[in-house]
Amino acid sequence: MLMSLRKRETGVDQRAKEAYFTASQGQLIWARFRSNRTSMIAGWALVIMILMGIFAPFLSPYDPTIAGRDKDYENGAPQIPRFWDENGFSFRPFIYATERERSIKTNFRWVVTENRDKRLYVHFFVRDWEYTLFHLNWDLPGDRFDVDVALIRSDIHLFGVEGGKIHLFGTDASGKDIFSRTLHAIWTSLAVGTLGVLISFVLALVIGGVAGYFGGWIDSVLQMVTDAIRTVPSIPLFMALAAFMPDHWSSETRFFFISIILGVIGWPTLARRIRTHLLTERTQEYVLAAELCGASSPHVIRRHLLPSFTSYIIVDLMISFPYMVRSETALSFIGLGLKDPVNSLGALMQNVSQADVLLNYQWYFIPVIFFVALVLAFVFVGDGLRDAADPYSGTKK
Amino acid sequence: MLQFIQFALTRAFMALVTLLTVSLIVFTLMEMVPGSCAERYLAFKNTQGAQITIDDIEAEERRLGLDRPFVERWGKWVGNVFFRGEFGDSCILRLDINQLLADKFWISLGICMAALLLSYMIAIPVGIYSASTSNAVVNNGLRFTSYLGLALPNFLLALIIMLISTVLFGDSLTGLFSKEFRDAAWSWEKFQDFLSRAWLPIFILGWSATAFALQTVRALMLDEIGKLYVTAASARGVTGSRLLWRYPARHALGPVVNSLGFDLNRIFNELPIVALILTLTEAGALLFESLARSNDQQLAGAIIFLLTASIVLLNFLTDILLALLDPRVRRGLMG
Repeated sequence: MLMSLRKRETGVDQRAKEAYFTASQGQLIWARFRSNRTSMIAGWALVIMILMGIFAPFLSPYDPTIAGRDKDYENGAPQIPRFWDENGFSFRPFIYATERERSIKTNFRWVVTENRDKRLYVHFFVRDWEYTLFHLNWDLPGDRFDVDVALIRSDIHLFGVEGGKIHLFGTDASGKDIFSRTLHAIWTSLAVGTLGVLISFVLALVIGGVAGYFGGWIDSVLQMVTDAIRTVPSIPLFMALAAFMPDHWSSETRFFFISIILGVIGWPTLARRIRTHLLTERTQEYVLAAELCGASSPHVIRRHLLPSFTSYIIVDLMISFPYMVRSETALSFIGLGLKDPVNSLGALMQNVSQADVLLNYQWYFIPVIFFVALVLAFVFVGDGLRDAADPYSGTKK
Repeated sequence: MLQFIQFALTRAFMALVTLLTVSLIVFTLMEMVPGSCAERYLAFKNTQGAQITIDDIEAEERRLGLDRPFVERWGKWVGNVFFRGEFGDSCILRLDINQLLADKFWISLGICMAALLLSYMIAIPVGIYSASTSNAVVNNGLRFTSYLGLALPNFLLALIIMLISTVLFGDSLTGLFSKEFRDAAWSWEKFQDFLSRAWLPIFILGWSATAFALQTVRALMLDEIGKLYVTAASARGVTGSRLLWRYPARHALGPVVNSLGFDLNRIFNELPIVALILTLTEAGALLFESLARSNDQQLAGAIIFLLTASIVLLNFLTDILLALLDPRVRRGLMG
C-alpha cells in the first residue's frame, strides 16, 4: 500500500495517500527500505545467516569442539554429496566411504583414499550428539552470576550419513568438522558483536547525552576525552587490553572480556553523533515548550529528545556492527582474542596463514567466505536503513 | 596575520592537550598490565638461574622509581617524552627504546604515509568521476568495490595475495629486506631493495583506505554537484572536467583534507596485523611482539604513543593547511 507513494501524482488512490500521511515513522522507513532491492536481498541473507547461527547445533552434523572430531579424517578434503556416478543414479544423495592407511607404500604417512564402490547415503533428521538450543550457560567469575537455562534439548540433526561421517567443508588438523565449526562461529561472532554494540551504545548514550544536553564546560571536557580516545588507533588499543587476559581464563570469560573491550573502545563515534544531535535539537521550540510546561530534564530527554532520533541510533548501531565483528575477527586471528574451544570466525582463520595450509588445505578458507558475506550483508542493510531513515532521501532524487 | 598566528597557536595548544590526554590513557594502560617491570625483569633473571628474593624485587622497584605515586611517575614519563624525547628502557630487552625503535618507526610511518598517498591518488580522480557519471555499471561496480574494501579486511587480502604468489611464483613475498641488506646501513641499494619489497604492504594497507576514501570523496562530490553555483557555472558554458575541478571539487576536497588524520588512524589499525602476516620487521610487528608475547609495557606504550602522536600531528598540519588553502577560512582569519 505504501509502495504506491511514488506514483502519488498520477494515481487517485485516496487510501494510499491517506496511509502515507497517517503512517508512523517506522512504517515510512520500512516502506522506503523495502523498495531498495539490494538492501532487501542483503537483509534476507542476513536473516538466513542469523538463523543459521541460532540453529547451528541442529544444522551441524558433528560437535564443533574436540569431542566431535573425526580421527580417521584429519585435514580431510570437503565431501560433496552427489546423485550419480559411473555406478548409476540414486535419488538419495551419497558420498564415498574413505579408508585410511599407513604403510611402506605411502612412505609411512597416513593417506586417505576414497572407496568409490562403497556409498554412504545421506539421511535426514538423524540422531547424533546431544545439544541444547537457546541455552544460557555462563560460568562467570563469581558463582552468583552463573546462569544455566535451556529451552530445547535434543539430539536430532538435519542430516548425517550412516556408517561414516560427512564433512561438507572438510576437516581441520585435528579432524574437527569445518562445516559445524563455521556455523557455530557465525553465532559466536554475532554474539560478540551484539554485546559489544550494546555496551558501546549504553556508554555512548550516557556520555554523549550528558555532553549534548548540558553543554558548557561538561561538554568541553567530555569532548576532549572523546577526541583523545578517537585519536588512538583502536586495534593497537584492543591488543593492549586483550594482552591483559590471563591464560587461565575460561573461554566464556574471555568471550565477555573481548565484548567489553570492543564496547569500551567503540563508543566515541556514536557518542559524538548523539551529542551533536542533542545540541541542535535542544534549542528547538518543542523542547522549550516542554520546559515552559514545567517538564523536568529527564522527562524532556526521555519523551521528547530520544524519540526524535531513535531511527538514527538504530542505523548507527547497524553500521557499527560490521566494525565490531571485524575487530573481533582481527583480534582472534592474531591469537589475542577468542581461542579454542570457542569457535569464532577469527579463531577459525587463525591457521590459514601457514604455508602448508596455503598450498595443500585450501578448504580452511571456506569460513572466510562466510565472514565476507556476513560483513557485506550488514553493510548493505545498514546503508539501506540509513537511506530509508533519512526523510529527505526520496525528495533528493 | 596576527589572527592566523593566534589560530595556529590555539590549534597547537589543543593538539598538545590531546597528546597529554592520550599519554595519560597510554600510561594508565601500561600501569594496568599485570606485573610491574621490576617483577618481570627479575622473573627473567630467575629463569637464568639467579636466586630472587622479595627484597631484590623491592630494590629493583626503587631503582626504577616504581614505588612513587602514580601521578608523579606519569609526570616523569611525560616530561621525558616531551622534553627529551626519551621513552626509557624496554622492560624485557633492557635496551634503550629510542635505539630499538628509531629505524623501525620511521619505516612504519613511511609505509603508512605511502599507503595514504596511494589511496588518495586513486580515490580523488575515481571518486570525482563516479560522482559525475550516471553510468550505472560504473557506479554499482565502485560501490561494490568500496564495500568489499570493508568486508575483505587487509589481512585477508594479504593472505589471498600470499596464497596466489606462493602457488604461482613459489615466493610468499614476505619480509621487508633481502637477506644481504637486513643489517646493512642505509644506502641507495638498500633503499631500492626496500622499495622492491615494500610495495606489497603499501598496496595492502592502502586497499581499504582507498575504499573508504572513495566513498568519502564520492559522497562529498554528490553533495556539491547539485548546488546552484555549479549550475550557474555550467550555464556560463564551463563544461567537462574543467567544470568539475574548478567548482565542486574544490569545495568537496576541503573536508577530505580534514579527514586525513582519521584515515591514517585506520591504516595504523591494520599495520600490526599486516606486519604479522607478511613478517615485516618494523614497529607494527614490534608492537605485536611486545604485547602478545613478552608483555613489554614500556615498549608497547611507546609505540602506541608514537603512532597516536603522528596522527595528532597530521591533524594539526591539515588544520593549518586547510586554513591556508580555503579562502573562506583564510579571510575569516586574516581579515
